[in-house]
Amino acid sequence: MKNGKIAIVGIGVVAPSGIDKRVFWANIKAGRCAIKKIERYDSSLYPSHIAGQVHELDAFSHVSSRLLQKIDPFAHMALVATELAFKDAGVDLAQENLNRVGIFMGNALGGWLYGETELRDLYIEGREGVSPYMASAWFPAAPQGQVSIYYGIKGYSKTVVSDRASSLMAIGQARKILLRGKADCVVAGGMEAPLSPYGLLCCNTNGDLSVNNAHPEEAYRPFDKKRDGFVVGEGAGLMILESDSRAREKGRKILAYLTGYGTTCDGVDRIKPSRDGRQLARAIRMALDEAGYKPGDVDYICLDGSATPEGDESEVRAIKEVFGAAAKDVPVSAPKTIFGNLLGASGALDVIVTVLAMEHSMVPPMLNLKDVAPECAGLDFVKDKAREKEIRRALVISRGRGGINAVLAVERP
Amino acid sequence: MDTKGQVKDVIVNLLKVKPEEVKDDQSLEQCLGVDSTEMVEVCIALQKSFGVQIQEKEVAKYHSVTEIAKVIEGKKG
Repeated sequence: MKNGKIAIVGIGVVAPSGIDKRVFWANIKAGRCAIKKIERYDSSLYPSHIAGQVHELDAFSHVSSRLLQKIDPFAHMALVATELAFKDAGVDLAQENLNRVGIFMGNALGGWLYGETELRDLYIEGREGVSPYMASAWFPAAPQGQVSIYYGIKGYSKTVVSDRASSLMAIGQARKILLRGKADCVVAGGMEAPLSPYGLLCCNTNGDLSVNNAHPEEAYRPFDKKRDGFVVGEGAGLMILESDSRAREKGRKILAYLTGYGTTCDGVDRIKPSRDGRQLARAIRMALDEAGYKPGDVDYICLDGSATPEGDESEVRAIKEVFGAAAKDVPVSAPKTIFGNLLGASGALDVIVTVLAMEHSMVPPMLNLKDVAPECAGLDFVKDKAREKEIRRALVISRGRGGINAVLAVERP
Repeated sequence: MDTKGQVKDVIVNLLKVKPEEVKDDQSLEQCLGVDSTEMVEVCIALQKSFGVQIQEKEVAKYHSVTEIAKVIEGKKG
């Protein structure tokens, strides 16, 4: 039922592993780690002060310095990724009915560099020291607004704030809106800029970050015996979605289809997911059912890989519950170990990696898995370098703090 | 520098626009597309630069550099 499928027709990526999608994929394929010590300010007293950092954003930016004063870096990254995605898709917005173009974005933290700088000025200089743009620059939906203004997009739009699951949920919702015929074309994905002094402090407070500062490239090691949490990253991943029939009519290059989506909540704790993974398993089944797949149809699973004891164990348990004896035969990996966990943007980056993996018939690798923890054993982890394999159907798993589960089914055209 | 030149300077530095884009006798909205939020910033920057108090109604986006300079000169006495 191809006409019920939603097509990805363009992708734009701003990531620690590269801004251009070709450079990005080359770094993923080779397993070149982009996680380094944070040196843009003295972060040495933070328990975790390593991250995946975006370089050369200005070299790729089309945003005027006048606008840059009014927005936070997370909106800047979203604007650049959106421009790259529209260009990749070959969409000419002058030819589109802008009332029928939508924006669905995910973000977890908001724009704290702008926020904290202006709050500092409030306390030092008083009311007049605060930029009037403060009110519209820091909050999680600001990038959606900026993209809307920049292109004059006026259709069905929404920003999802659901911790690290935000952007996968945004893409899932965008798919539903397109299936219901509420929009013709949607830009979907997410952005996150968690490396400001206050943003990084917030990330450090939940105790889920790796403190292996001495060895940044080895720090993010989900499913490994020596794992001690994830490593944050900054960036944005946006994609252009259209119905299959419209994409064909417009002569777009179809990169992949979004065929199913499932989401559930654990409902047990403020921070930790439920160790049994039952609700994640239910979300996986929902995505499989919607896509019309049997577990045996899946060629690759892009893992959440939180590198926390409960997160990793419950993820492996959920996969085993759904896939049964076949769980050991499905290649799995957490490519975010290469560039960091982009929090609210992580799901979008994982979808982009999966789409590029399909295009190149290579399973993207994960880093630092030397000694699989006994409770995580039994899956076919793809380590260190990409593995040649045709990927027709894949699942992407994204999970937020407190047990938010989102799963997307992706198919090669 | 005369008041008009100084007003222009403040606007160019604040909004990161080219000096030739600022037209003496066109409203800031017309020549630069300044909106009301940006105007709040312009107002504050002018107050700091000239050391005078300016009410938001006195200097608005529909005023030109020439008009703004006149308001400021009036305040400086």
